[in-house]
Amino acid sequence: MELEDLKELIELLKDTDITELQVEKDGTKVKIKREKMLTSLDMPGHKPAMHMEKAAASEADEETQRLVTVTSPIVGTFFRSPTPETNPFIEIGARVAKGQVLCIVEAMKLMNEIESEIDGVVMKILVDNGQPVEYGEPLFLLEPV
Amino acid sequence: MKLFKKVLIANRSEIAVRIIRACKELGIKTVSVYSEADKDSLHVRLADESVCIGPAPSSQSYLNIPALLSSAEITDSDAIHPGYGFLSENFHFAEACTTSGITFIGPTPENIRIGGDKAKARQTMKRKGVPVVSGSDGPVPNEEVAMKIAKKMGFPIVLKASAGGGGHGMKIVKEEKDLEQAFFMAQREALTAFANSEIYLEEYIPEMRHIEVQIMADNKGNTIHLSERDCSIQRRHQKLLEESPSPLLTTEKFRKRIGELGVKAAKALKYRNIGTVEFIVDSKGNIYFIEVNTRVQVEHPVTEAVTGIDIIKEQIKLAAGFPLELRQNQIRPYGHAIECRINAEDPERFVPCPGKITFLALPGGPGVRVDTAIYQGYVIPSQYDSLIAKLIVHGKDRTEAIAKMKCALDGFIIEGIHTTIPFHKKVLNHPDFISGNFNTNFVEKMRTGAQENK
Repeated sequence: MELEDLKELIELLKDTDITELQVEKDGTKVKIKREKMLTSLDMPGHKPAMHMEKAAASEADEETQRLVTVTSPIVGTFFRSPTPETNPFIEIGARVAKGQVLCIVEAMKLMNEIESEIDGVVMKILVDNGQPVEYGEPLFLLEPV
Repeated sequence: MKLFKKVLIANRSEIAVRIIRACKELGIKTVSVYSEADKDSLHVRLADESVCIGPAPSSQSYLNIPALLSSAEITDSDAIHPGYGFLSENFHFAEACTTSGITFIGPTPENIRIGGDKAKARQTMKRKGVPVVSGSDGPVPNEEVAMKIAKKMGFPIVLKASAGGGGHGMKIVKEEKDLEQAFFMAQREALTAFANSEIYLEEYIPEMRHIEVQIMADNKGNTIHLSERDCSIQRRHQKLLEESPSPLLTTEKFRKRIGELGVKAAKALKYRNIGTVEFIVDSKGNIYFIEVNTRVQVEHPVTEAVTGIDIIKEQIKLAAGFPLELRQNQIRPYGHAIECRINAEDPERFVPCPGKITFLALPGGPGVRVDTAIYQGYVIPSQYDSLIAKLIVHGKDRTEAIAKMKCALDGFIIEGIHTTIPFHKKVLNHPDFISGNFNTNFVEKMRTGAQENK
């Protein structure tokens, strides 16, 4: 059983009410048990609508150790290009310099340019064009050079 | 007339939960906002959607007007409820909402502006025949003018900040020789706390009761009152316990008079939506206007208990333009209600005490209500105020209400942090409280009395 498989199993557990899982594969037996939290109120694992759209962001967990995450400093709408008619500021694989504009987050009709804090290469774009973003929302993963 | 489709609650903690409940009951979708410190808050879990608006400091989150307006924009909210505190009495925020095409659930920006200018509010009341404490006509420009007015009126007097509240910039001056220094100190405090050093002057009333009237008005100016609340149990101008009816106002005539003055004051300001008019009543039973609070108040559940009216739901309907359906003669308060504000503070020294709630058991039973956002396992953040729960009881009379509150306080078990529950038990057992014979000096007297007995 590979580390990747284990990680996948743990992720699987997280999103369900399963407290114990036993898996046998290729001669390896794995038992994963989760402590059930005692709460005085029944709290459903409610995911508000805003967060439903961003499940993809959690996959960045493993990679964020070596990559730098660019997060939104404000609440607004994410745009990849300066105007609808022009090309995006950057594409995947683009080399960016510190201070270079990566995208726009529009808030109340004001276009806020989001700049890179480092010299690096764009490895992943985590949100879609026109998507609403909140404070701290991961936008890009950059590989520092 | 249609209700809003979606309301963004620009607040946190128990009041955000309260507003979410009212919206849900009305079939309105809810959006909550939170700082990074409030990620695990109840108000985030209960709302249909949530938006992280900034890091922990209030100035960058709950007071961050662009972040709030932007959140309303991206979630397509048609109204914002500001709750209490934070931006609820911020004239710029109210205006900015309106400019952005979002309804601000509260009074008009003009109501907020004048409510926030206490010297001006006093002047308006004087002009319209609402009794005010004798004092200056508007703000006092300098210490010489203050001295002239004070000498004419006679000491003791109190200096108050025009833009103020919570006792900041407030100085009681007992003698002429103390006035100059007090004036400069009051100005400095007011400037620091409110960025406005304007001071006005009033006669000091030593033994006063703080009694306030809940009012409600629609867009056409139809205004009613929902009877009064007595909030005299205070420490350093912070309310700790409130009740209705006031044990001081023992006659129907007296209660009617203060209610009518509340409506008169609201109409004088062309007040819209809900608000509270604050009065002080002196030892002779004279009623004086102090200020108007242009927002929903912490202690609104006390009035909900005695009138049976859901104030927040009414507030939302009024903001959506619905006419006021309630008539004054339909407001018939019954029984007696008491609210205790439970703070995460040391009950002796009132020092805030954030931390993790390791065990929680809530009281219940008929006439017992708890408004809170805490849960077992919740970690109270240190960056915000210490109110963690409101315990409200309603009984058929004051004796039953007191008995119910004592029982409910005993049944309210919070472990892992200090709370002011023991303090409230002391109040409820104090002979002066039980007899209804107290004023705003009660807490101070109770604590000094306790120290003398040690």
